Amino acid sequence: MSNVNATTFTIVLVLFLVVTGAGFAAARWRRPSNMMHLDEWGLGGRGFGTFVTWFLLGGDLYTAYTFIAVPALVFGSGSIGFYAVAYTILVYPIIFIFLPRLWSVSRVHGYITPADFIRGRYGSRGLALASAFTGILALMPYIALQLVGIQAVLTVMGVGASSTNTWLKDLPLFVAFLVLAIFTYVSGLRAPALIAFIKDTLIYLFVIVAVFYIPTRLGGWSHIFGIAQTHFASISPTTKKPIGTFLPTSKSVGSTQFDFASLALGSAVALFLYPHAITGTLAAKRRSVVKRNIISLPLYSVLLALIALFGYMAVADPTTAANVKKSGNAQLAVPYLFQHMFPSWFTGIAFAGIIIGALVPAAIMSIAAANLFTKNIYAEFFKPDATPELQTKMSRWVSLVVKLGALLFAIELPHTFSINLQLLGGVWILQLAPMLIGGLFTRWFHRWALLTGWLAGMVFGTLAAYNVSSPTASHWAASSDIEFGHSVYIGLSAVVLNLVIAVVLTLIMRAARVPEGTDETLPEQYTADPEQAPAPAPAAVGAAP
Amino acid sequence: MTQATNPPRRSVIAAHPLLSAGIAILIVADIFFALYTPIYSTLTPKLGDFPFFYWYLLIFMPVTSAALWLAMLLQKRLEDGGETR
Repeated sequence: MSNVNATTFTIVLVLFLVVTGAGFAAARWRRPSNMMHLDEWGLGGRGFGTFVTWFLLGGDLYTAYTFIAVPALVFGSGSIGFYAVAYTILVYPIIFIFLPRLWSVSRVHGYITPADFIRGRYGSRGLALASAFTGILALMPYIALQLVGIQAVLTVMGVGASSTNTWLKDLPLFVAFLVLAIFTYVSGLRAPALIAFIKDTLIYLFVIVAVFYIPTRLGGWSHIFGIAQTHFASISPTTKKPIGTFLPTSKSVGSTQFDFASLALGSAVALFLYPHAITGTLAAKRRSVVKRNIISLPLYSVLLALIALFGYMAVADPTTAANVKKSGNAQLAVPYLFQHMFPSWFTGIAFAGIIIGALVPAAIMSIAAANLFTKNIYAEFFKPDATPELQTKMSRWVSLVVKLGALLFAIELPHTFSINLQLLGGVWILQLAPMLIGGLFTRWFHRWALLTGWLAGMVFGTLAAYNVSSPTASHWAASSDIEFGHSVYIGLSAVVLNLVIAVVLTLIMRAARVPEGTDETLPEQYTADPEQAPAPAPAAVGAAP
Repeated sequence: MTQATNPPRRSVIAAHPLLSAGIAILIVADIFFALYTPIYSTLTPKLGDFPFFYWYLLIFMPVTSAALWLAMLLQKRLEDGGETR
């Protein structure tokens, strides 16, 4: 702990304590008459207005890992990292099409998880189980990566880095996560909703200051872009190819325009298939709240675009570039950049912003995963007569277990493993698109066809990702591979395969008149806007034959 | 609520083809101009020190907001004009 900057450390600690207090106080915020219901614990009472939802969804979607990983990718490979910027633009017109429908039908039927909708729409427990399983699988490594984000900041701060004992070294991380786990347990979704205000304020503050201040220290934007352009055109000694690209190329293989677009499109469709994004949406009070947020959230994406540019600033700053090279970890690019550029008190604010930025999504993700387990696995298959109170108790405990699992992931396994799994998580979650987005518009798809397509997409995507190699890694080297002579995002090719199988098999199943299952939803429920939240469901959740 | 909704919904769109087309165009254009990389993967024209690729993506975000806001207004008119309300 010898090289820890006292000012930075104190500011991070104070802001962390403020957040902890807010996390526990959140239980009293909009206090419900009965907290022991998943609508309350898991969805904050389904009563958030436009303002709160904006902060909640913004804090939920733009995770600390994003703030670390996107500039790290830009630092390492150049323009291809900006796919994240195109992706956060594309998300909004795409969800404009389907998200209000998902909100409406979930509100009418009191659905808490996306798998609840799948079950109601297709009358298929198997399909609902497949979607719940995919959601939990995709969320686990995502939560672990929030911890990796915290670790990146702690490493640069020098906290615990000198110790050789793994557990002692990660003690600060352990404490941060314990606090997170307890306030999520107590306050449910209200905790991240309240903390999101603090997170978003800190992040807006440091990003805007950084964007105006750092270029003045580095000789202006023209110098930053100039250095980046020269740097990425230079030839790497290991691969004998350019280090990266300054613009996506028009070639067919590599960091191409096609690869850029397929990554952007695949990620954009995937984002609101993630259960935590849907949890944030279903907590909204009215349909118009969802729509207003779709319109105003692109303004949050501006932040991400600016954060991506930090990758170029790190390239243009010789000290930062040297520090990152010495550590061998591109994820430290942004923390090193801030540490070198800012006075220590402001570094403290920025670091606290990133750490708190990890807590908000981690809390929502663990709530989403816990709800999926409780509603769609536990209550569905093991305890059909579970009361809302029992379900809430179960969800609380599962949220703890999920976070503990993520902690073990982050501490015990190499980080590359978590990163690969998160890459796979995106591929996996995208396989829900035909059943979920498709199901919001049509009942044409057959449940067995969707299940087969899903399985095919999952297997193909996993194998394809496993087989990608690079000069430095034999497997899991990237999220794109080559299909028909073009570099393309694996998630996108897998979901195309998934969709084709679903269409062909639906035609066959319909011709063979295989039973379709009952649809409990009605067409007008997809555009409904009920003012009152659905009455708390009776104990019979999942008890229907 | 008692009648099947498919016929009235269709008729709302059929009764206001221009409004409906306007909404569709706004959404499709928004997706297309962000997705079709060749049109913006260039260095020039620069805006200040920013190469085209970079300022195009930055400017696109407020543009998306505005386009979706317009689409929502049109949608509201469409709903108000229909018989369903």
